[in-house]
Amino acid sequence: MSSVIEQIEQQIANLQTKTVQSNTGKIVTIADGVAKIDGLSEAMYNEMIEFPGGSIGIALNLEEDSVGVVILGESTHLKAGDEAKCTGQLLSVPVGKGLLGRVVNALGQPVDGKGPVESTESYPVEKIAPGIIERKSVDQPLATGIMAIDSMIPIGRGQRELIIGDRGTGKTTIAIDTIINQAKINDVGLASGDENFRPVYSVYVVIGQKNSNVARTLGVLEAADALKYTILVSAPAADAAADQYLAPYSGVAMAEWFMSNGMDALIVYDDLSKHAAAYRQMSLILKRPSGREAYPGDVFYLHSRLLERSARVNEDNGNGSITALPIIETLAGDLSAYIPTNVISITDGQIFLETDLFNQGIRPAVSVGLSVSRVGSAAQIKATKQVAGKIKLELAQFRELAAFAQFGSDLDAKTKAQLDRGARIVELFKQPAFNPLPIEEQVAVLWGIQNNYYDDIDASKIVAAANSIREFFTTRKEALLTSIRTKAKIDDELQAELKKAYDEWKPSFV
Amino acid sequence: MTRDKQIINYAKGLLKISLEDGEFSEERASAVLQYLEKNPPRKYASVLKEYLKLVQREVANSTAAVEHAGELSSSAIEAIKAKFSAHYGRKISVTTRQNDSLIAGLRVRVGCDVYDSSVAGSLHELEATLS
Ligand SMILES: Nc1ncnc2c1ncn2[C@@H]1O[C@H](COP(=O)(O)OP(=O)(O)OP(=O)(O)O)[C@@H](O)[C@H]1O
Ligand SMILES: [Mg+2]
Repeated sequence: MSSVIEQIEQQIANLQTKTVQSNTGKIVTIADGVAKIDGLSEAMYNEMIEFPGGSIGIALNLEEDSVGVVILGESTHLKAGDEAKCTGQLLSVPVGKGLLGRVVNALGQPVDGKGPVESTESYPVEKIAPGIIERKSVDQPLATGIMAIDSMIPIGRGQRELIIGDRGTGKTTIAIDTIINQAKINDVGLASGDENFRPVYSVYVVIGQKNSNVARTLGVLEAADALKYTILVSAPAADAAADQYLAPYSGVAMAEWFMSNGMDALIVYDDLSKHAAAYRQMSLILKRPSGREAYPGDVFYLHSRLLERSARVNEDNGNGSITALPIIETLAGDLSAYIPTNVISITDGQIFLETDLFNQGIRPAVSVGLSVSRVGSAAQIKATKQVAGKIKLELAQFRELAAFAQFGSDLDAKTKAQLDRGARIVELFKQPAFNPLPIEEQVAVLWGIQNNYYDDIDASKIVAAANSIREFFTTRKEALLTSIRTKAKIDDELQAELKKAYDEWKPSFV
Repeated sequence: MTRDKQIINYAKGLLKISLEDGEFSEERASAVLQYLEKNPPRKYASVLKEYLKLVQREVANSTAAVEHAGELSSSAIEAIKAKFSAHYGRKISVTTRQNDSLIAGLRVRVGCDVYDSSVAGSLHELEATLS
C-alpha cells in the first residue's frame, strides 16, 4: 500500500518539476487575418503559431524583429497585445481512407456535421515533390468519361491537365464528370474481383467558390454515389484568405497519402485563379513587394510547387500516382494573362473551353485547336487510338473549312464531304453534364463514325442516333462491350462483331 | 506609421553606445539621452520611440522575470540567475513577482522565451490535450 502512495508522490513531484519551454511573442497589429508579432525569435518559416482561443496561424514573413503571421479561420477575437506561441511544428493535416466521403476545411477538420474524421496519420501540407529518380512516365489511362476528351485529349495517371476557360463554360462540370467516372469505374472494377485493378480516389479542392456552388457539387457527387471515393476540401469564398491559400496544399497532402501507399489519386483544384487572388491579398497585407497585376514575385512558385507534387512514381516507390486537374478562369478567353500563362507552362497540356461553342450548344465546349495533352496519348488504350486516331485532325480541318464555307455556295464534292463528316463528329461529341460514358461505349460509338455508319443520317439526328446505338449495345450486346473493355483493342474478331452489331442496329433506326 | 530605415539604424547605433561590455548600462543610456536633448536629431520623437523599444528588448533579453506562487528563497534566485546566465551566455539579472494564480511552481520569462513549471501551466496543457 505504502509503495503505491510513494509512487503517486513521485509522480506528483515529477509533474511539478516538468518545465515547458516556449517561444512567445505579442501581437503588435492585426488586420484582415494577418498579424504582425513582436518576438517569436525562434519561429521557422511555415511554422504553426498558436494564439489564444486555439486559433492557428502560419509564420510567413520572418523579419529582423517581428514575424508576419496569417491566421487560419476566425480571427475576430484576437487583439493587439495577445500572446502568440511557437509550436515547433509545421502545419499538417490528417490523411487516410477515413477522409473519403467527408467534407473538410483547409486544416482537415470536418465541416459536414458527420462527427470526427477517423484518421491515425497526418502529413505535412508542404512537402518537396518527388524527384526525377522516383518518377516514371505516364502510361496508364485516366478516363474522364467525356468522349471529346478521352478520344482527342487523353489524360494519363500522374498527368497535370489544365482545364481553362471563361466563367460559366463548364469547367467544373468536366472535373466533376471525371470524378464521377472514376467512381463508376471503381464500382465495376472492385466488384469484378480483378487483383490488378487499381481504383482512383479523388480529392476535390474548393477555393473561393460560393457556398451554394459547393452544396450543388456535393449534391451531384452524392446523387452519383461518387462521394464514397472522394474527399472534398472546402475553402469557400467566406473563408479567410489564408484558408483559401492553404486548401490546395492540404488537399494534395491527402492525395499524397494514396500515392505513397501505392494507390492512384485524382485531385481537382477549383480554381487556381482564386487561389492566386487569395495569395495576392495575403501578400499585399503582409506588405510584400508586388509585381505584374499586383501579384507578388513568387506567384509562379506558388503553383509550380503545388503542381509538381502530382506525379507517377515508379515500382520502387510504390507505383502510385497523383493526377491533377487544375482549373483556371480566363477573362474574355485571354490565355496570355499572367496566371494562365504561368499555369499553362507548368502543366502537361490544357483543355480549353470556349464561350462561343458553349453558347452554340456545343457542350462540353472543348476547343479542339487550342487543347492539347502532351503526355496522355502514351496512356490511351489501343481501341480508342484505333477508332479515334484521325478524329482530332478531321475536326480541326472542319472548323477551318466551316469558316470559309460561309462565304461560298459552290463547294466541290470533297470539301462538302469533309464538312458533312465534321458536322456529324461535332454532334457526336455533344454530351450532357454529369453523364460520363464508359470507354467501351465511347469506342462502340466512335467505331460507327470511323466506318461511315452515320454518313446518311441527318446531322440533326446524330445525337438521337448515338443514344440509340448506345442503348442497343448496353441492352443487347453487353458481352461485346465487356470484351472491348477487357481486350482494350479491336482485333479482327471484334471488328467483325461490331460490324454485325451495327448492321443489325441500322435498320431499326429511322 | 511608416518605419524609417534611417531612424531605425540611428536608434540601433544609440543602443550600441548604451552597452558596456555587451551589457546595458543605465549610466551610458542617460548620457545618450542628455546628448540627444542637447542636439535633437531629425524626427526626435520617432528616434526616442525606436530607442525605447530597443532598450526594452535588450533589458528583457537580459532579465529573467520570475513569477512564483508562494515563497521563493534567495538561494533559489541565485540558482536561477546562474543557470540562465550560463544558458544564454550573458549576465542575466532576476526580477521577481508573486503570482498566486500559478497555484504552485514558477514561470520564468527571458526575452521571448517562457519556461513554465507551474501547476497552472500544466493544467492548461492538460486542458488543451483533452479538448
Ligand atoms: N455538357 C454540358 N451540357 C449541358 N450543360 C452543361 C454542360 N456542361 C456545363 N453545363 C452547364 O453550364 C453551366 C455552367 O457550368 P459550370 O458550373 O461547370 O461552369 P464553370 O466554368 O465551372 O463556371 P464558373 O466559372 O461559374 O465556375 C451549368 O449550369 C452546367 O449545368
Ligand atoms: Mg466552376
